[in-house]
Amino acid sequence: MKRALNIARGPMVLTLLLVIVLMSIVMVIAGTTPWEGFASLLSGTLGGPREIAETLAQTTALLFPALGICLAFRAGLFNIGAEGQLLLGGLTAGAIGAHFAGPGWIAIPVVLASGFVGGALWGALAGWMKSRFNANEIISTLMLNYVALYLANYLVSGPLKSPVATGSETAPLPPSVWLPALVPDTRLTVALLIAIAIAVLLQFVFTRTVFGYELRALGEAPEAARRNHVNIGRLTWLVMGLSGAIAGLGGAAIVSGELHRFNTQLSPGYGFTAIAVALVGDLNPLWICLAAFGFGILEAGGLAMQASANIPEMAIHIIEGIIILVLAARRYVTTRVEVPAV
Amino acid sequence: MTQSLLVSLLVLTIIKSVPIVYATLGGVISERSGVINIGLEGMMIAGAFTSVVISNLVTPSLGPAFGPLVGLIVGVGAGAFIGWVLGVAATKFKVDQIVAGIGINILCGGIAGYGTFLVFGLQGASPSVPALGGPNIGFLDLHAGATALLVFAFVCSMGLSWLIYKTPWGLRVQACGENPHAVKSAGLDPLKSRLRAVTISGALAGLGGAFLAIGELNLYSDGMTAGRGFIALAAVIFGRWTPWGATGAAVFFGFFEALETVLQGHVSWLPADAMQALPYVAALVALAGVTGRVRAPAADGVPF
Repeated sequence: MKRALNIARGPMVLTLLLVIVLMSIVMVIAGTTPWEGFASLLSGTLGGPREIAETLAQTTALLFPALGICLAFRAGLFNIGAEGQLLLGGLTAGAIGAHFAGPGWIAIPVVLASGFVGGALWGALAGWMKSRFNANEIISTLMLNYVALYLANYLVSGPLKSPVATGSETAPLPPSVWLPALVPDTRLTVALLIAIAIAVLLQFVFTRTVFGYELRALGEAPEAARRNHVNIGRLTWLVMGLSGAIAGLGGAAIVSGELHRFNTQLSPGYGFTAIAVALVGDLNPLWICLAAFGFGILEAGGLAMQASANIPEMAIHIIEGIIILVLAARRYVTTRVEVPAV
Repeated sequence: MTQSLLVSLLVLTIIKSVPIVYATLGGVISERSGVINIGLEGMMIAGAFTSVVISNLVTPSLGPAFGPLVGLIVGVGAGAFIGWVLGVAATKFKVDQIVAGIGINILCGGIAGYGTFLVFGLQGASPSVPALGGPNIGFLDLHAGATALLVFAFVCSMGLSWLIYKTPWGLRVQACGENPHAVKSAGLDPLKSRLRAVTISGALAGLGGAFLAIGELNLYSDGMTAGRGFIALAAVIFGRWTPWGATGAAVFFGFFEALETVLQGHVSWLPADAMQALPYVAALVALAGVTGRVRAPAADGVPF
């Protein structure tokens, strides 16, 4: 256990140093001193209850897809489609939520469940293609991202378009379906608690259940898994489905908690940033929570920088890209050197 | 569909195929050497963005004939550089190639997006810049610069085919993708071959991106590569890792992009979003349809 913690801490420290250096460079290019830049970044993201709430809202948005990605990566399945799964989860949640009037205690679970199912279907589709046709899941999930975007775009500008809105969006959700806010008048909702609960659940599944054991076996020693009669085909679509479902739940949480309707601007790339989050958290659900908070600061800070210093949010992608590139030096699946303790 | 529509579909298919052909050939050479290049998309972005910036920078002093050409060459160089970065990561540092490729895609998108803001002061897209030009020639009615790149794309697939199957270097690259340990036993350095192959891969993808930016169009905009690098990955598999097969697959996907463009003007019953999704759906179907029956290079994606 101690060893596991040390392994997880490595990328965290490395990433933190890297981020500080890169941010300084970006700030100098943008024309402020790093000292001033970091001071305003910290006060803008952690300086008061409202700022912290916004940072935690970003944390939540990243945590769901990151946990979904973690589940798939641990099974050796490169699910790069969290963005599309998130979008479709949000779409189904928006479509059903808008027409589901009922008391909150029943309506909110229904809306979240529909997001879960929407993401699950999109993820399982790639998993099914992999298990049935041996279609490379990296490419299929990347393609499905584009298909999801066009599908969602078509539905919100056509069949599901709100009759009252001018833009392309679904009808607004009735207030009874809104996720309760944790801090009044902020975007921080109980979704954060749901995400953390899922992280704990995932950790339990990985370490204490047969399903989790088989899943890790598939990722770390697929040949051994096959020889020990693990049903790889079933496991593949199941894992991809669950991975998509968690991302989809994140989409539903944004729709029900923040936007109160669905539109295709739901995610500014959370599904891709979440890959970095999952890797920085070393594919460990609990460390991922911490990593998501770090990236939450970065995302909230990025939005603040865009508003104040007019630095495009794209600058954040440079930092994310370099982090992922550096962390790739740690090998995550199949080629892993260490044999997991039995 | 009328005669003229068919002709324009054919012409558009050839034009739309060009960037995909370049990226796909890049994918073939990289995967034949044993490195999966998920970063093709990022390398296309690098080529597109750099060619636009350089063309804009040097055309006032070099003139409209040479400026864009220099932009094109530097764009290819930028792609090659990104390819080299992935190559070093994959050979010297033995990283997870897929994770590194994802990083490269996000990084290049970020650099190009932020760079557009730094260089042009605009977000999302650059203004129009001097592009390749010349008189319109041939039945494609396309300007000379783009026509030359179009022809060169097919020259490249011929050249790559010759390189892989007929030269000692190419045979070595193939061996690196199948069994790098055997290459090592023969006293050669598989890492060096892989590094060169991935650098060439980046140059080809960069050329594809540059064609898109200053051949077909005359600007850089965020997301302009629109997943062509990913479609190229599907084309590599669909074309069974051979240069000619992959070229055919790239043209096949180019056809769906052309179909999208042609249909949008003439078909009203099919929603525009469905047409735009066509190339991606085609890639998905192709991926599901063939991959069970083809075999990747044995050491594809396995660090040595």
